[in-house]
Amino acid sequence: MSTAISRPSVEGVLAELAARRRWRLPQIALAAVLVAFLAWCAEGANLRPKAVIEAVPVIAEYFARMAPPKWEFAEVLWKPAAETLYIALWGNVIALLIGLPLGVLAASNVTRSPVLRHSARAVLNLLRSISELIWAVFFVAAVGLGPFPGALALGVNFGGILGRLYAEALENIDPGPVEALEATGASRLQVIAYAMFPQALPQFVTYNLYWFEVGVRSATVLGMVGAGGIGFELVTTIRLFEWRETGVVLLLILAMVTIIDLASTWIRARIY
Amino acid sequence: MNAPNIQLQPMIAVRGLSKTYAGGVRALNDINIEVAAGEFLVILGPSGAGKSTLLRCINRLVDPTAGEVLHNGKVINGNRSELRAVRRQFGMVFQQFNLVKRLSVLTNVLTGRLGYRGLWRSLAYSFGEADKRIAIECLARVAMDHKAFQRADTLSGGEQQRVAIARALAQQPTVILADEPVASLDPKIARQVLGYLREAARELGITVLCNLHQVDYAKEFSERIVGMSRGAVVFEGPPAQLTDEILHRIYYREPGEAAQES
Repeated sequence: MSTAISRPSVEGVLAELAARRRWRLPQIALAAVLVAFLAWCAEGANLRPKAVIEAVPVIAEYFARMAPPKWEFAEVLWKPAAETLYIALWGNVIALLIGLPLGVLAASNVTRSPVLRHSARAVLNLLRSISELIWAVFFVAAVGLGPFPGALALGVNFGGILGRLYAEALENIDPGPVEALEATGASRLQVIAYAMFPQALPQFVTYNLYWFEVGVRSATVLGMVGAGGIGFELVTTIRLFEWRETGVVLLLILAMVTIIDLASTWIRARIY
Repeated sequence: MNAPNIQLQPMIAVRGLSKTYAGGVRALNDINIEVAAGEFLVILGPSGAGKSTLLRCINRLVDPTAGEVLHNGKVINGNRSELRAVRRQFGMVFQQFNLVKRLSVLTNVLTGRLGYRGLWRSLAYSFGEADKRIAIECLARVAMDHKAFQRADTLSGGEQQRVAIARALAQQPTVILADEPVASLDPKIARQVLGYLREAARELGITVLCNLHQVDYAKEFSERIVGMSRGAVVFEGPPAQLTDEILHRIYYREPGEAAQES
């Protein structure tokens, strides 16, 4: 407690600090391997930093062609834009229906059986690893053109992603209340409902709102394979070199994403 | 700073301080307190008496509704850069320790130096030799220097609170605000932690405002006690004057019960 003992020990700790700060051979070797690996991957990805700088005026040129936006075109866009929102909304509902049960099964603190848990994880991985665009191709072939296959494609892919995120949210909850409810003699499902879900709920809502926003962006791409939404108009205007119309489509997508972002901030502030 | 000034001027002066939270909860009602430089003041009262709000109004973690707080005769206002300069001089110790659990003990104490350092260097997690020396000396003061490189979450509660005190000391503060520093510690560890706090403050001449709800610790460690009840000061004086009748006024208890407590 007295200052008398502090003198020699301060020097000792300072020396240890300096020793810890010094780079040792294994660390240097690891850093060198990491840099070499990144360089090798850059080669593989055909990275050309110079081309990035050259690309700036080219891309700026495209955006310049979009001005001024041809506002009249917006009249044609209302219906597909609304369709995009429907797809994103129902895609998220389907994702919730698929992801929630699988996510609960995949969370290690909820599901004790390793077989069940790993099976759930495997299904989630499968759903997730196939992108929504590929799912959309399958579903268009299965149920025909239009927004319905789009919603299904988003639902299946996002279900895989959200399930994984739900599982992680459940795994990160405070175990204290869980122990407390187990001690009351509550059953497993009661513990899940009363101690685990309330703690993870804000996370669930946040993820769903965020993936709704992602869904709107994704739904704009699904139109390319005939799965409905504003993407069809987007691709058409680009193919016809109607840049001023493309500008209107992009602005509309930006507006939708911004409104959803504001709305989700508003909703989240009221849920915690 | 000249000597006569220190004698005349309290280190902390709270004047007419009131706080009403949004929603209408009246936490503080016209509080007036003066604390002399180097004094160990205990603010005693039951949970919900307004002790935490009072401490937080002093360093403006909570904005008071009315009244003012003077530090060395100078009003603490809400101006951001001035407030940062004042906060730097106010170490704070919390009931739940509030260490950054994933950082090492030493780095936690070094965070006490952040108020003195520029942004860019801090963002590189780099501290100067002088700061490191100060931090390690503060750790040695609470006998935690031997665990400097452990992660904070590997420590026991009492050890974490000692590290938190070292963090406050590393600010080289004029004042330490301790908000129920021993409420979640067992009696033996609690006395040890309060002992470290008192000793460091005494040796370094730091003014301490310490919230407590346990009467026996208050009597044992304080030089002066302010008793609070329902957002108001109901007692002010040395521990010896803390009679059963006064304890009853603070805690709304029967005198017999209060006597058992102390």
